[in-house]
Amino acid sequence: MTNSRTSTVDLATRWLVLALLVVYTLYNVGPIFWLVLSSFKSRMDFFTMPPKLFFTPDLSGYQAVFGVGAAKDSASAVGVFDSLVNSIVVSVAGTSLAVFFGTLAGYVCSRFNFAGKGDFMFFVLSTRMLPPVAVLVFYHLMFARLGLADTRFGLVLVSIFANVGLATWIMKGFFDGVPREVEQIAIVNGYTRMYAFIKLVLPMVKGGIAATAGFCFIFAWNEFAFASILTTTQAKTLPVKISAASGATGIEWTQICAAGVVLIIPVLIFFYLIRKHLLMGMTFGVLGRR
Amino acid sequence: MASTPVTHESRAVAHATRQNALRKRSSGRLMIFGFLSPTLAILLFMVAYPVFSLIYYSFHNFSALRQGTMKPVGFKNYTFLLSDPELWERFVFTGKFVFICVTLQMLIGIFVGYQMQKNFRGRDVIFTILMMPMMLSPVVVGFLWRYMLNSEWGLVNFLLSSVGFAKIDWLGQTTPALWAAAAADTWMWTPFIVLLATAAFRGIPDTIYEAAEVDGASPAYRFFRITLPMSAPVLFIALILRLIDSFKQYDLFVALTGGGPGSSTQTVSFTVAKTAFSYFYTGEASALAVILLVIIIGLSMILVRHLTKMGEKY
Amino acid sequence: MAEITLKNLSIEFGGFKAVDEVSLTVKNGEFVVYLGPSGCGKTTTLRCIAGLVRATSGDVLFDGVRVNDLTASERNIAMVFQFVSLYPHLKIKENIVFPLKARGVAKAEIARKLDWVTDVFKLGDELSRYPGALPPGARQKVALARAVIRDPAVLLLDEPLSAIDEQFREEMRWELGHLQRQLGVTTIYVTHDQREAMSLADRIVLMNNGRIVQVSEPDRMFFDPVDVFAGQFIGSPSMNLIDLAPVEGGLRLGDSDVTLTAARDLLPQWALSAGRPLKLGVRAINVHLTDDPSFGVALPVDDIFSVGRERFFSFRIGDTVHQGVDKRSSTAGSEGRVHFDPEGLLFFDAATGRRVGAEVAA
Repeated sequence: MTNSRTSTVDLATRWLVLALLVVYTLYNVGPIFWLVLSSFKSRMDFFTMPPKLFFTPDLSGYQAVFGVGAAKDSASAVGVFDSLVNSIVVSVAGTSLAVFFGTLAGYVCSRFNFAGKGDFMFFVLSTRMLPPVAVLVFYHLMFARLGLADTRFGLVLVSIFANVGLATWIMKGFFDGVPREVEQIAIVNGYTRMYAFIKLVLPMVKGGIAATAGFCFIFAWNEFAFASILTTTQAKTLPVKISAASGATGIEWTQICAAGVVLIIPVLIFFYLIRKHLLMGMTFGVLGRR
Repeated sequence: MASTPVTHESRAVAHATRQNALRKRSSGRLMIFGFLSPTLAILLFMVAYPVFSLIYYSFHNFSALRQGTMKPVGFKNYTFLLSDPELWERFVFTGKFVFICVTLQMLIGIFVGYQMQKNFRGRDVIFTILMMPMMLSPVVVGFLWRYMLNSEWGLVNFLLSSVGFAKIDWLGQTTPALWAAAAADTWMWTPFIVLLATAAFRGIPDTIYEAAEVDGASPAYRFFRITLPMSAPVLFIALILRLIDSFKQYDLFVALTGGGPGSSTQTVSFTVAKTAFSYFYTGEASALAVILLVIIIGLSMILVRHLTKMGEKY
Repeated sequence: MAEITLKNLSIEFGGFKAVDEVSLTVKNGEFVVYLGPSGCGKTTTLRCIAGLVRATSGDVLFDGVRVNDLTASERNIAMVFQFVSLYPHLKIKENIVFPLKARGVAKAEIARKLDWVTDVFKLGDELSRYPGALPPGARQKVALARAVIRDPAVLLLDEPLSAIDEQFREEMRWELGHLQRQLGVTTIYVTHDQREAMSLADRIVLMNNGRIVQVSEPDRMFFDPVDVFAGQFIGSPSMNLIDLAPVEGGLRLGDSDVTLTAARDLLPQWALSAGRPLKLGVRAINVHLTDDPSFGVALPVDDIFSVGRERFFSFRIGDTVHQGVDKRSSTAGSEGRVHFDPEGLLFFDAATGRRVGAEVAA
């Protein structure tokens, strides 16, 4: 514990830092606030000058998103609720599996040195380098041939593929922060490596798992490009469904804002639940052997 | 061992380590194989077909629209692309975008992350709120900023004019549009850096800072000689990941500028999409995608090599 | 070198008093050990002297100058922490010169000091390696080198040897003591290990519950404890503590049927007529076995065992087991009478635990 006092120069720096943080927070939160506010605007109120802060709330945006009232989207066989379910299933499954595989791979890359490790790590990283747009067509063909088109399973595969690389790299970073002594002491006392891994090491990287899960969930949940191409009716996820609601009649601003708000809520909930774990330390091996 | 251990203790430890190493080898092998195979399998499965197809089609005169006639054309796609001056402008634009975004995000992210490492009241909540931009769908982000940057009715111009600045035509001209896109991308992805940077900074034990304080290091000295070097590996990873992702940026530009004005804000990724899905020159698009991939891989290799060198100390 | 004075120092953390009105003066060049159980406030006091913890009330003075408001960087102190605090990303060489570089010392001076320290600590082979490659003992040596390279006024050590294997601890302890005498720097050392304190200290400051219990040289601490806590904390095996019940003609030992009398056991007269319940403290080295039936008392002897070159025996009073030292020749049997050396009898007030005696104030 330390409560030592800071000198005057530090005090001045403190105020400057605080000011900068305030600016950043405004920059960060402002647009979000604006988004939420705008989602309740009617089409009329949307484009006024000066931009309105106070107005009568209008739910037309949300109505369009949920396909109720005047803006029912009759073209699709899948209702909003179903697409919500699809999204949840695909995101949760994809995230869990990506984090699971990534954690295992990250652990091994942290602890062992084996031939081709560097290459393996780079290969894993490189999977993220593919621009989705470039490979969409090929995935479409591949999935069609394998009977994976329009299936949740197919989307889950895509989800895992997109995220496991990130998961591996980030989890390796967290594992590097756990001293090797932890397992060595267990082994010397007769426990197996597996036991040491599950009972001792894993609890120590709970924060890393949380952060990784957070990232992967975000990517999986908001995934749009692949989902739109690879699904037609049954397996449509929420982002796709929502975008379908903004038709070819130009940009439906209120719907987009409403959709944005609706989409962010589950992610927000997820992050709020894991907030205590998020800030754990990660060192990527800097501390070496303690 | 090359150098002779100094004390009795070093000799004892060296002996014990050798014993341990022998014991580790057998149980380790199984674990390596078991833990790596799922990841390797999925990645190979999902990567192999598309990448090979990509390379294959890049050497062919293929159009997804036309059926049948597909001739191998060697490097013609590549030469065609690389000799197009407009395409070079796309590359330059993309390069500028990536550079601005990554620089801003790293600087801001490290700064904010550094402040977040100390415990203060309400930090958990503030932290969650700060993460929010990252949670939005890129398309939504694009449209949101498009709305805010509208030259007539946008929030940003309104704020500017109310403090006396002139309104700026953000999305109608290339240079402001570049900065607009950078602002949007930075807004969205700085939290990513903040999260990783905070994790990295919190991995540094307090005793090290105490030792530094006792040693007479000023806060600035501590930051540059201890905090940054010790979190360098993590920050580097963050840099590499952001670099890769900004090169690929597509969704944002679709929503924000649609590639406009004209085609000046089309990133390379955007061009790939357009070539493939608007013009249906699939072969050409594939070639362009391959070029982009090569650039990304090249840059990453350089950075990862540097990262590995950093890690070798430990 | 500096003289450190603590005046009525109190340190509070959110209502909890970790250090309670501590006053002490550490002389120039002295090696003082703060000793006590976990949570007694010794580390907190040390960190306050270092400047890492702020005093709630009271003063910390270096050579008579109040340093409460100075940060750790501003006080001329050096510290070696319990869990190694070397900079893992810097080579040993860079670790050691860090304090000099951080304060902007000239390159030539740095080189000179580095050579001197390398010499003293025999670190020549290790300079280009990284802390991660060294075992804990070597690392603490480096930490020590980094601490002394600046010629600090005060050297503070927070349980520096606790993370080191037992076998190497003694070697390091000796080197540390030797180094301190060589450098003559005022040193404050915190530990919970009383053997460490006994072997290293010029003076021991025994603390418990945030307060100072006793400040003495090791010998006096051992032979002249100020209360039961001090008596039992110091010494291994710990001091035997026996209840005394006043009976006809003497004091009965606990639940046994043995009575100590003034005549035979040379009990001090005042103890017999103390008028309040007492406890007897007697260290193992002052309890012997004797075959002479005119000496000692008959108490059941449980066991005789050897530890190193010493022979110990355990005996019972009621249900409690106590220890003594068997100084008879090795051919002696396993039976004997227990004899308490009257010189080593310490009496404590059973209620307060404080030491009582003819010369000690009531």
